[in-house]
This record gives sequence, structure tokens and C-alpha cells, in this order.
Amino acid sequence: MKAIFYKEWLKVRWYFILAIATSLGFSIFSILRINRVIELKGAGHIWEVMIQRDVIFIDLMQFVPIIMGICMAIVQFAPEMYHKSLKLTLHLPYSALKMTFVMLFSGFLLLLGTFFINMIVMNGYLSIVLAPELKWQILNTATVWYLAGIASYFLIAWIVFEPAWKRRLLNIGITLLLLKIFFMSDMPQAYNSFLPYLAIGSILIASLSWLSILRFKAGKQD
Amino acid sequence: MTYFSKILLYLIIGFLAMWQLPWCYNFLAVEGSKSGFTLYSSILDDFVFIKHSDAGAVRKSLSGKEFTQNQFDSILPTFYLRQLVTDGRFPDTIKGIPVEPKMVQQENFNYRCVPSDINRPKIGLYSLLESMSKRVDLVMPDDVFRLTDSRIEFIDMKSNSINENKSQIFTAEMKKKGLVFPVKTLSGNPTTRKEYDEGYVMLDANNNVFHVKMTVGRPFVRSVKSPKDVTLKHLFITEFRNRKTLALITDTENKLYVLSPNYKITKVDIPSYDPKLNYITIMGNMFDWTIRITSKTEDNYYAIDNNTYQRIKEHKNKLSSNGIPTLSFTSSLDKFVKPRF
Repeated sequence: MKAIFYKEWLKVRWYFILAIATSLGFSIFSILRINRVIELKGAGHIWEVMIQRDVIFIDLMQFVPIIMGICMAIVQFAPEMYHKSLKLTLHLPYSALKMTFVMLFSGFLLLLGTFFINMIVMNGYLSIVLAPELKWQILNTATVWYLAGIASYFLIAWIVFEPAWKRRLLNIGITLLLLKIFFMSDMPQAYNSFLPYLAIGSILIASLSWLSILRFKAGKQD
Repeated sequence: MTYFSKILLYLIIGFLAMWQLPWCYNFLAVEGSKSGFTLYSSILDDFVFIKHSDAGAVRKSLSGKEFTQNQFDSILPTFYLRQLVTDGRFPDTIKGIPVEPKMVQQENFNYRCVPSDINRPKIGLYSLLESMSKRVDLVMPDDVFRLTDSRIEFIDMKSNSINENKSQIFTAEMKKKGLVFPVKTLSGNPTTRKEYDEGYVMLDANNNVFHVKMTVGRPFVRSVKSPKDVTLKHLFITEFRNRKTLALITDTENKLYVLSPNYKITKVDIPSYDPKLNYITIMGNMFDWTIRITSKTEDNYYAIDNNTYQRIKEHKNKLSSNGIPTLSFTSSLDKFVKPRF
């Protein structure tokens, strides 16, 4: 299992560093934006705008996690599928099911790590300048975007593992509709009561990849 | 695992079909109902309305009489005030009462509240303006307040720290006047784009209403005597230009009340208004209020005397919809995202 983790790490290490740098760049840029407004108009302006106009000041980051999730799945699995080397991996003397989920779990952990670093950086700065209510308003809203990132990773992996294009198109349609659920409202904290179910759903859809792997193993072309 | 994955996939497909297929049908097949503009005319003692069609605008009263545009202005003199003044047609008296345009303007107000104003995520931080500022314009404060289970806390926005002194003074005054924490709900209108500030109306843990504002930096707290056998539920501060009302209130039976500046609560003679489910529009003038209450199935109008709050007339409409029920994640009634039918 350690060897599989290491293999996955070798595949995505450069992308992982790029993803951390990019997402941190967006987080730090959002923080600088807030800081600039505070310097120009005072902290009161940020508070008032957040309370009265539902502004969260990190909207630039809205699609960053989902793009990161999509890219992670493509970088991790597309070359292996293209070179057909996944077939060799699945023929190793190790359960194909475990192999698949360890591969997915390693990508999931790396994504989670990236998001966690982002959250820590934002939480550190926002705790200084905003009341806890306003800080959680921002972080809660961002959590939905990060969940979309995790869901997109598992869904794109499901698409990439799928051997037949016809079925792949169906998977893409389902993926688009499922990902739309994460972006139904710009209202901060609108997802609060739905968030635990979204989190569970985002994890459960990892199991869809197993269906594609089974079809891939069986050599399905339709 | 294979079975689990298959079942999950079928569930997802079923879930998406329940969401998207009825939505597509409703999007393509359902026509929106066109409701014209309706107002009570105290001149005619009847509701009058404008309906727009391909042939143009039709102006009629409920009794069927048709009006020209000029006639329509004249039967709604408080609403078409500016047009009548511009044309030099503004009357000296309305219903036998001498009127001036400024006086009418002072008494006119529009109020609107939609369910999503209430059914929405709340931050729990509020601004309390100085209501007796020596300046002409209102000014936003440097702090905000939150209500905890046991007190009111003012937080200085610049330093992001609690102003203990102010918090203690306000908490002590609120408790002294009988307010029991935690506050269940409150309503205020913290903006500088208004003529005066009345602070907040609050419903305490014992369902009693309190008026809380800041005057010359000090707390102003008044207790309001609730009507007997009534449990108040929702509060809406009004701050209308005429200063004749302080707030609108509803109770657990969905009855509507007016809280006047002398802290008297008077019931408004309308059957029912549930702020969580109904849209309300009130167009008031110096004689009456036209209250429109819209639900999914009804669009009702009530003309109410603006002194006694008794019903003068009513006009009820049934609304029909040929849409089919659909799974959806958002609703016009709230600002939450969650699956619902």
C-alpha cells in the first residue's frame, strides 16, 4: 500500500506543488484585497458590506478548488489510461478494488491537504480583522467550493477510468449536473443545513470509479 | 462494492431525473400569471387596476367602469401626486379634507416584505445607529452588536474587540426594563438612507416586545405591553416618513398588528399573514392602506382604514398553476440551498 501511495505521489508531485502555489496565491491575493480595502476605507467598511450586502471578498476563489480537483484527477489518471499502464497496475498481485481506492485516496488526501493549507492561511488572517461570525461566513461559504473540488476529483476520475466514449459522455452529463448543485447560490451560508449531506455525497461518489474500473478490466467498448 | 456502486449510480440518475425532467417541463410549458397593478381608491371606494395587454393598458375599477389615464390619475390622487401637481390638477381637498402636496407626500409609504427576507442565513451582527445625532444626516457607528444568551455585546470594528463598558451599560438597562435574554428575534433598519432612526424592536425570551435604541450614546429601552392571550412571533420595524407606526408584528396565529410610537399594539383587520410563506406589500396614504398578501394559491387585496386598521374592502383572487411538482434545490420562499419538493 505504501508503494502505491509512493507511485501516486511520484505521478502528481509537481502538480501538487503547483496546486498549492496557485491556491495559496489566490488565498493571499484575496487577503491582500481585504487588507487594501481596510487601509483605504477602514475595517468598518468591510464589516458593514459583509453584514448588509452579503459580500464575502473571496469570490475570486470560487472555481479554484473545482479546477484543482479536475486537474488532479486528469494529471493522476489520464496518462496511465492513455498509455494503458493501468492494465498492468490492476494485474499486480493485489486486490484491484483496494488498488483503485488507495489510488483515489492518495489523490483525495493531497487535495484535502491543499484545501487545509488554504483554510489555515485564511483563518489566520481573518481571525485578526473580523468577528468570528464574519470569519465563519467566509469559511463556511468556501467549504462548499472545497467540497465541489473533492466531488469533481472523484467524478473526473470516474470519467477518466471509463473505457468507452459513449458511456463517458453520459458520465460527463451526470458530472455536470452534480457539480451544478455546488453552485446554486451566491448567498453566504446558504448551504449550511445541506453541507453534511453534500460532504457525505462527495465522498460516496468515489465508489463510482469502481464501475468504470470493472468495465475497463472487462475491455468494454460500448 | 460493485452492488453498492451500481445502486448509488441508479440513485444519482433517479435523483437527477426528478430534478431536471420536471424542471424542463415547467420551464417550457408553464406560463407565468400576469397580475396587474391594483390599488384601493378612496375616491371611488373600490379597487382599481391597470392591466397591460397587446392592445395597451386597460384601467378599470372592480365594478367594471373603465377610465382614461387622466381619470385614473384623479381617482388615485395620493398615488399620482407628482403627475397631478405637474399638470396643475392636484385637488385642494380629498374626501373633504384640505390637502397640500407636501402633506400627502409625507403620509405616503410603501412597504414590502418577502418570505426570503426572513428565511435566510443570518450573521447575528447588527449596527445600532445614534438616533439623536446632532448632525442632519445619520451616521453608521464604529461598532456592531451581537446578542448572546445573557447579554448584548458591542464589538469595536477597528480593533475587533468587545467594548465591555458599552456592553455592560446596555445589558444593565435592558435587564432593568424587564428584557429577558436570550432575545428570540429582532428587527431594525441599520442604514443612513432614511430620515430618522428607531433602533430595534426585540422579542425577548418571554415573548415580550422591547424597543431598544441609542440616544446620545445612552441606551433607550421601552417595554411594550402585549395583547392578552397573544404570542407574538415576528417583528418588522417600519420607520415610515409619517412616524405613525413603529413596527408591524405578527403572532403565532398569523394575525397582523401595528405597534404605534406610543407603544400600543392594534390588530389589523386582515384574515391571515404568515411572513414565512406570504409576500406582503402595503401602499399607504393619509386615508387608507392597500395591503396585498400573496401566497402560492391566492393573491388578496385588503383596503384598511389607516386610523382604526379596520377593513374597508377586500378583493380576493385565486391563483392557479399548471406546473408539476419538482425536486429543486432553491426556492423563492427562502435563500437556502437544500433538496425539497
